[in-house]
Amino acid sequence: MSDSVVIPQSPVGVQQPEADRIVRRPSVLLLLLREPSACVALMTVVTILLAALFAPWLAPGDPYGGDLALTLQPPGELALLGTDGQGRDMITRLLYGLRTTLMIGFAAVFIGCGIGAVIGFAAAYYSRLSGLLMRLMDVLLSFPAILFGLAIAAIFGPGLTAVIIALSIATVPLMARVVRGAAIVVMQQDYIEGARALGMSDRRLILKHLLPNCLSAIFVFVTLRFGQVILLGAALSFIGLGAQPPTAELGAMAADGRNFLFFAPHVSVLPSLLIFIIVLAFNVLGDALRDALDPKLNK
Amino acid sequence: MSKALKSMLIAGAAALTIGSLPAVAQQANTLTVLRVIDADKYDPIRSTATAAAEIVYMLADTLVSIDFDMQTIKPLLAKSWEVSEDGKTYTFKLREDVKFCDGRPMKAEDVVYSLKRWTDPASKSPVSFRGGPVKDIKATDDYTVVYELKEPYADLLFQLGLSFASVVDKASVEQLGENFGVQGFNATGPYCWVSWTPRQDFVMKKNPHYTWGPEIYKDPKPQVEQIVWRVIPEQNTLMAAMQAKQADATYYMPYIAIDTISRIPGMKVQQQKNYIYDAFMGFKVDKPVVKDEAIRRAVNMATNKDAIAKAVYFGKGAPMQSLLNPTVLDFDPKSASMMPKFDPAAAAKLLDEAGWKVGSDGVREKDGQKATFTVYGLRNAVNPRISEAMQADLRKIGIDMKIQLWDATVGWGKLATQEFDAFYMSYPYVTANEALNLYFRSTQTPTPNRMNWKNEKTDQLLATATTATDDATRKGANAAVQQQLTEASVWVPLVSEPMWLVTGERVEGARPHGVYGAGLYKGLDIKLKR
Repeated sequence: MSDSVVIPQSPVGVQQPEADRIVRRPSVLLLLLREPSACVALMTVVTILLAALFAPWLAPGDPYGGDLALTLQPPGELALLGTDGQGRDMITRLLYGLRTTLMIGFAAVFIGCGIGAVIGFAAAYYSRLSGLLMRLMDVLLSFPAILFGLAIAAIFGPGLTAVIIALSIATVPLMARVVRGAAIVVMQQDYIEGARALGMSDRRLILKHLLPNCLSAIFVFVTLRFGQVILLGAALSFIGLGAQPPTAELGAMAADGRNFLFFAPHVSVLPSLLIFIIVLAFNVLGDALRDALDPKLNK
Repeated sequence: MSKALKSMLIAGAAALTIGSLPAVAQQANTLTVLRVIDADKYDPIRSTATAAAEIVYMLADTLVSIDFDMQTIKPLLAKSWEVSEDGKTYTFKLREDVKFCDGRPMKAEDVVYSLKRWTDPASKSPVSFRGGPVKDIKATDDYTVVYELKEPYADLLFQLGLSFASVVDKASVEQLGENFGVQGFNATGPYCWVSWTPRQDFVMKKNPHYTWGPEIYKDPKPQVEQIVWRVIPEQNTLMAAMQAKQADATYYMPYIAIDTISRIPGMKVQQQKNYIYDAFMGFKVDKPVVKDEAIRRAVNMATNKDAIAKAVYFGKGAPMQSLLNPTVLDFDPKSASMMPKFDPAAAAKLLDEAGWKVGSDGVREKDGQKATFTVYGLRNAVNPRISEAMQADLRKIGIDMKIQLWDATVGWGKLATQEFDAFYMSYPYVTANEALNLYFRSTQTPTPNRMNWKNEKTDQLLATATTATDDATRKGANAAVQQQLTEASVWVPLVSEPMWLVTGERVEGARPHGVYGAGLYKGLDIKLKR
């Protein structure tokens, strides 16, 4: 990434030494930590990631083994957050559900953004391909992710793979558009023209100059998209296309509890609340990152 | 959760429901019945759905009726009947006071037309086989119908009591064509078609001529002016609508809510103890892993049916300890004693002896084959929970059961394939002979005989039972089939699903019936308080 510089306003009539006139911009992390909402979001995201990562060590029980005699127990002494419809500890299920939900999110964002970025760069760099690729992306954009999920589940059967494929496909055109837009702006810079004049290969130019200068846009999109993907993944699992029993997944857990919403609301409400927190945290973090990475917004 | 909080939640939902539903229930002499699903059409011979049967039973009549005990046949359109010595000819004497909704008197030719339409293979009805091996159906005078069979058919009278055998008006069928039962309907039932808005509501009004109700009711005439059947697919909303007095009756109340609802002043909850609607898991007996009888028997032994009945049906279901329901005609108690009891340790021992050894991942193996199988089912209110409970039970004995549940829109298609090893199903039936013939005859493969059970002995025994002219032969043959199938563990019988009729404070005289899932049957004794 090219170094961003901020030239502070000098008081009128005061001459400053040359070295002092160019001040390095604070790191992104520092900028994030200055913003209270971003700080809370970052801490939430880190906590969520750690909880998911260490779920097998943190979980007090077996995520798959339950006691049918203890189904739908309310939060209390027996189980801190109650039990589900199979008599399984809710804390354990939530921790494992978090893992699955985040795994779906990471996989779909990684695959979708990876493919989308390649298409975006290709469309920006090779103008002859641009029309074809972007029309193809327009076609993909016209299908809702739920529809992709239904179609893929019909072909491969419901399951995590179907959800990941559906969400990846839904992510590709969005990412391609973002990357193409960012790359076209960078392509107009003089240093790109200079690199071309020096005879730099397309591959090297894209990897060495285009990609690093588009990373901030990519990073912000990925963070914001992650929240959306989590929500869509949970929705697909809620309608039965995602995680299959006994896999714990937050959307599927929320769906499991809906039939006894009035009698054991914790079974549905807790996973829904967790989805809400994850999505909110990633969205706030994405917004904050966008602000932090945009020098115009952060003078 | 505290009772106070629970009540607050339900009251809140009820308040929301009041605002969202039109106030139909408060109309004078209009009974509003809630249900969770609609049928695709209401032509008696075109739909096998329970949702169709519950409407058709009110719009049309059959020659005979089935009593609340689910075992006794009583007169309805036929005031009497005779069966020939050889069991091949049934002669029905019809009532002479029956009229269609349009006022036209019903004659024998109407019955002949309707029964031929049902049984004729040319009509391509999915239920035509239920009419038996028909030779001819004819009218010998205006009020006598002769039903001739190629061979005796023990189930005929019960089948003639099902909604598929309803008498309909030929003119209405011919006038509406494919839209018969979609845009209109004319028959001799206690109620007449008014309107149908698919997936929303079905409205019917009292048949003004109707005085010939079956003797199983106190009053042979309908008491309510109009009935509105409203579809509310979401169970919580249905429950709230009942509590908000937006409806008068339902037999689709979620099991978890039965106790709470019964405590609400004015609400009445009744169970039909003779209701036959059983849930089971069937195996495809020619598929790897589950073709091994030891695996099937072990699954039977490792499944805690009592716990499932308590947890999934909240104590309102009865665990099935036999292939068929103990209340059904020709139930065989000996086969019930042969059903393996819940004993996970014995199941594990059985698998050990059969050569299925526990692998490093806890799943058993034999000759390089993992003890794993895939079960399909519809994603309804109970299958997700039953399947997960069974999955946990089977994991304890080293069997890995993979679950794939489908939405009903694609589920029935999936259940007709050979993709799976086992499946979940629940079904209504009136006799043992009917259930066994439906599911286990070789000719019924691939569906409804999804087990691919092709067994010569079964076919012979079922043929003997079906063509028997005496009770002892029929009972004996049906018993032998039940024993054979129990021995082979072709099914894991799970739970007998109960029917609970919930009625509001305006309703009097309602009693749950439940033949083929139709909770109100003719609904004749139902009255609404002013």
